[in-house]
Amino acid sequence: MAKKEKKKKLNRRDFIDRGFRFSIGAGLVGLSGLLAKKSFSNEYVWQLDPEKCIQCGRCATECVMTLSAVKCFHVYDMCGYCDLCGGYLRPGVKKLTTAAENQLCPTSAIERKFIEEPFFEYHIIEELCIGCGKCVKGCNAFGNGSLQLQVNHRLCDDCNECAIARVCPADAFERVPADNPYKFSGNSKDETKKS
Amino acid sequence: MLKKYIDRIVLSLVILISVIAFIVWFTYNPVQDFTASIPGLDNRPPRDASSEIVNIGERFDEYSTISTILTGKWTRFRGADYDNISKENTPLIDNWGDGPKIEWEVELGEGHAAPVIYNGKVYILDYNELRKRDALRCFSLETGVELWRRSYNVHVKRNHGMSRTVPAIIENYLVTMGPMCHVMCTDPNTGDFLWGIDLVKDYDTEIPFWYTGQCPMIDGNLAIFAPGGKALMIAVDLASGEVVWETPNPDIWQMSHSSIMPMTLNNKKMYVYAAVGGICGISAEGDDKGKVLWKTTAFSPTVVAPSPVILENGNIYMTAGYGAGAILFNVSENNGAYSVKVIQQYKPKDGVASEQQTPLLYNGRMFSILPKDAAGMRNQFVCCDPNDCTNILWTSGKEDRFGLGPYAIADGKFFILNDDGTLTIAKASTERFILLDKAKIIDGMDAWGPLAFADGYLIMRDSKTMVCLNVKKQ
Repeated sequence: MAKKEKKKKLNRRDFIDRGFRFSIGAGLVGLSGLLAKKSFSNEYVWQLDPEKCIQCGRCATECVMTLSAVKCFHVYDMCGYCDLCGGYLRPGVKKLTTAAENQLCPTSAIERKFIEEPFFEYHIIEELCIGCGKCVKGCNAFGNGSLQLQVNHRLCDDCNECAIARVCPADAFERVPADNPYKFSGNSKDETKKS
Repeated sequence: MLKKYIDRIVLSLVILISVIAFIVWFTYNPVQDFTASIPGLDNRPPRDASSEIVNIGERFDEYSTISTILTGKWTRFRGADYDNISKENTPLIDNWGDGPKIEWEVELGEGHAAPVIYNGKVYILDYNELRKRDALRCFSLETGVELWRRSYNVHVKRNHGMSRTVPAIIENYLVTMGPMCHVMCTDPNTGDFLWGIDLVKDYDTEIPFWYTGQCPMIDGNLAIFAPGGKALMIAVDLASGEVVWETPNPDIWQMSHSSIMPMTLNNKKMYVYAAVGGICGISAEGDDKGKVLWKTTAFSPTVVAPSPVILENGNIYMTAGYGAGAILFNVSENNGAYSVKVIQQYKPKDGVASEQQTPLLYNGRMFSILPKDAAGMRNQFVCCDPNDCTNILWTSGKEDRFGLGPYAIADGKFFILNDDGTLTIAKASTERFILLDKAKIIDGMDAWGPLAFADGYLIMRDSKTMVCLNVKKQ
């Protein structure tokens, strides 16, 4: 019983000693974490600002990757799920069907699915998208702007010398932190997971 | 000998390889993995006419009564003269002073329907999403107290708003058209139901995208509608609800969001309507009432929201959104025969166009807000000579851009409502854009419903709230 009491009791010297050691340890861990974070966030990658993009079409032709690493992303939170979708259908079409002649996308990279009258969901087929931005232009002009061009960093070479940025007439390309490499306008930040 | 033998083997191998290569080339289909984009890949079910039984005007709820001395009127879409210009002499404010004077505000169902005002009462066709009812609601202009409500059950899903029409009113009749093309006539003094027509059931009307946008017209003792389907246009006797005449629709033009506008050419009165399919002029008087006098398919976009702007000398201006641009054409008459000649037709970046609102004609100039696809001048308030709509005389500039909201003229001023509920006052000048003041009236969105002026009050709305402003100059 006396032994137990002795074990529990901590004298002042031991307390200060342990406290000092703990402080040094915590400080070292914290410092390492900060340095690691700072080191990581120093990496930047190229990204396209949808607010500045004018959908000139150069993303499709100037990227060193084949096909272009710039793809259309769909920000579902902003989408109106319209039947008459300005991003999917050519202007002035007479019938709102999935027939090739009605589609705006030159590679049929947008899939349209009926949900319930009168709503449709649109999904980008990444393998077919060439990053031409025609759908983005249509969506911006007539819809909510939920279709947006972005550099897909799963496909981008990250060569650090972006060939599109050199010729972008709107100066829409900019460097963004590698740990947050997408720049959507609007609400959602998780579109990379959905695409 | 050996060499000859080797030569034969090589030759045979070459022939064999060539034959195999040819067969492979001939039988290989390089597009075998392609999928043809054909109609129906989206699994859209076939459209069938609504089987819902709607008992138009079935319910009536009375809440209050008022006595008022107000006599101001805003009797239909774009006002009494279809020009969106208030003719009242009440002096109105030039600026917002200490802030907008909001007399009252009322929650509405999501939409863009706008009211008419008649002798101190405000009438609006609202949609009650909770109870699933079209509801004609009557309010006091001065206090915003709801006086009565005439309604009927009908199922409408949210689709960028539900209600979007303006009633038409005269002394004893008030006509409305609901989102699903249900026409209702009531007595505006008592709220009594007089008659109703289901245009989908009676005329095979195809309900437009985002529901009905056509505002009913009252002309004398007739109500005029353009149902599309079985009849391009119909006239209904206000007193009895009986159809007086119908215009056949052999081209099966469909109902648009555009409204019918009256026109007089060489003393011949006619109704001009921009359907989905084309634009037509239909006789409004004489023995040929209801007959198509002229029509053109030169301008036939899939979606048509603005209404025709009737200009001088038989000229008509028509615009639409979604890249359609605009057309300026002339209708002429020679010994009773009418002909149409296109003067100008262009894309939205090349001249004055509009996506939703109908441009204003004032003092020989035409005013509009350019759509989003109008390149550098997008969303700017612009002025042009209506004889040359591609020559924009001035704009509101890059600093003053607007959206899809309405604009009207009252007391020599433009009142321009932006999507977010900001109301701009500008001098109604034909020389340049003269901004007087602007203020955020409501923290709203999609404020697209037309404005209504009467007795120094201005009624505006966003997608869910209707607001009455006192804009009288003190």
